[in-house]
Amino acid sequence: MLRYMVRRILATIPVMVVVAIFVFSLLYFAPGDPAAIIAGDQATAEDIALIRESLGLDRPFLVRFGEWSWNILNGDLGTSIFTGLPITHLIAQRIEPTLSLTVLTLVFAILVAVPLGVLAAWKAGTWVDSAVMIFAVLGFSVPIFVVGYILAWLMALQLGWLPVQGYRSIGDGLWPWFRSLILPSISLGCVYIALIARITRSTVVEVLRQDYIRTARAKGLAQMPTLFIHGLRNAAVPIVTVIGIGFAMLISGTVVTESVFALPGLGRLTIDAILHRDYPVIQALVLIFSFAYVLVNLAVDLAYTLFDPRIRY
Amino acid sequence: MSLLEIEGLRVQFRTATGVSRAVDGLSLSVDAGQVLAIVGESGCGKSVTAMAILGLLPEGISRADGTIRFEGRDLLALTDREMQKIRGKAVSMVFQEPMTSLNPVLTVGRQIGETLRLHEGLGRRATEARALEMLRLVGIPEPERRLKQYPHELSGGMRQRVMIAMALACNPRLLIADEPTTALDVTVQAQILDLMRDLIGRTGTGMVLITHDFGVVAEMAQRVVVMYAGRKVEEAPVRDLFAAPRHPYTRALLDSMPRLTEGGEAPEELTEIPGVVPALTEPVRACTFEPRCPRASDQCRTLYPPFRECGDDHMVACWNPEPQPDAAVAEPRRQGEMKA
Ligand SMILES: Nc1ncnc2c1ncn2[C@@H]1O[C@H](COP(=O)(O)OP(=O)(O)O)[C@@H](O)[C@H]1O
Ligand SMILES: [Mg+2]
Repeated sequence: MLRYMVRRILATIPVMVVVAIFVFSLLYFAPGDPAAIIAGDQATAEDIALIRESLGLDRPFLVRFGEWSWNILNGDLGTSIFTGLPITHLIAQRIEPTLSLTVLTLVFAILVAVPLGVLAAWKAGTWVDSAVMIFAVLGFSVPIFVVGYILAWLMALQLGWLPVQGYRSIGDGLWPWFRSLILPSISLGCVYIALIARITRSTVVEVLRQDYIRTARAKGLAQMPTLFIHGLRNAAVPIVTVIGIGFAMLISGTVVTESVFALPGLGRLTIDAILHRDYPVIQALVLIFSFAYVLVNLAVDLAYTLFDPRIRY
Repeated sequence: MSLLEIEGLRVQFRTATGVSRAVDGLSLSVDAGQVLAIVGESGCGKSVTAMAILGLLPEGISRADGTIRFEGRDLLALTDREMQKIRGKAVSMVFQEPMTSLNPVLTVGRQIGETLRLHEGLGRRATEARALEMLRLVGIPEPERRLKQYPHELSGGMRQRVMIAMALACNPRLLIADEPTTALDVTVQAQILDLMRDLIGRTGTGMVLITHDFGVVAEMAQRVVVMYAGRKVEEAPVRDLFAAPRHPYTRALLDSMPRLTEGGEAPEELTEIPGVVPALTEPVRACTFEPRCPRASDQCRTLYPPFRECGDDHMVACWNPEPQPDAAVAEPRRQGEMKA
């Protein structure tokens, strides 16, 4: 077990390297010259060349990649072209809202989606099932910003229950922090809930046909413990898998959500960096998001053995 | 008062092709300490009867009428919550498929313990001790280790022993076993049957044993009910039924039975009787076995025969039953015709 975990963790290293190469190349080959952007509109060709040389942009791909990787390993993500600040500094400033938003949404989505999916599976073929599935289709097809604006308009502007926009740091108290994240989490969570609920439903429907469910009922177990102890436990692997895969949607969703609700997080930083063609920042952010995705899926892989004793590596 | 008394049980399923009468007016009774066997080809309603007793027919698509009295209480009239107190406690069940009937992600100890905690309100310690005792009782070697194992780490025979341990953990008064040995190989079958007979004999538990294997019937039961297409067609003490089956269907079942001791292979599903079980969705007017019956007459094609006495404690639903042994000289068996 421990050996497997270590092996699995080591196996993520090549994945991360490939991700790093990909992220680096993406912007290396992207159109637009960072040197020209820095130099501004009035710059001459010589000015641009000079800047390019001073930034080391004229050196070969491998040399630049090697240097970039080495710096990252030493905790240096580079310097923002636009602000001139170290990128680690920029990210440290912005990470709290994003982390809060994703973690809260993740927890909230799982807590809503899994029982919803189990309920739909249990009541498969009835109106309850249809209602849940219609909700899932809607949640999947309505864009985050639409949900976000509708919620903000209703809950904040009309009813005045929740703040319209903005982020309160967790340092200001748990309740203000939580309040500031309710609407963003719901907006961001819709797609995720839809995805998890659907997978939960279809997996649990399959599980409920199994003989051991009948055995559990024959023992005198009530519906709910049968569903949640015997049913859900057996459905856990596909559900956890989709939670891991769907995490990518969550990450891309934060970019939109942070804009709609004016949360000063990494998503906003990403948009600003793209608008300013702040290449080193974009690189660093894409890299961080990718690593987060890889790590979440590592956690998912490790969770398998927890849920299913038959899985042994 | 009998332990279990079923009267006029009717179970219907709503299907795409119409209402299917899986069980159609079944009556039977089991006394404490008695083993009643229900035999019949696959699809004749044996499992549905078992599920009806436990109140576990699929919701929404099925309906059960009649009465199922257990110790005087009509189980069909109880709510699911009331049934939960009976299931696994007073009435428990062993299923056919030991490979799939245990939950793959929970330990054996947990699955046996669940029943105990639920019905006996035992604490953690006491539950574990009792689970261990049960594993010992059903003859599982190294019970301490098995308790912490998962079903996939056990053989089919071991799993069926676990199922039996689970079913008997709360000392039920009635055990329903639905083809408990069909999925096992022959030597294991014999062991499991011995085990069940032994445990049941000790506690005076009544038992409904569902099977299509007359070898199992001979080994275990005192009384037999033969079912065909959702109905009881013959009922008699085991010995009488073997000595003189009266329904042509029972006769055919007995004739098609492979010799358990010769082959060494487990008996297959009975398929040797020519013809097929009629669709359960069609209304019954004539005898349902008539199209396959070597003794069929015009009367059989017009009216379903009544279930009536045909000997001492021997009942049959047939217009032209097989002759009694003493009359056999006068009317020889027509086995040749039937196989044709
Ligand atoms: N869930 C179900 N839906 C519809 N029909 C069913 C269902 N379960 C059983 N039946 C019907 O009941 C009949 C008897 O089935 P069953 O009791 O399982 O037979 P067996 O005697 O082999 O145990 C079958 O022929 C089938 O048509
Ligand atoms: Mg069956």
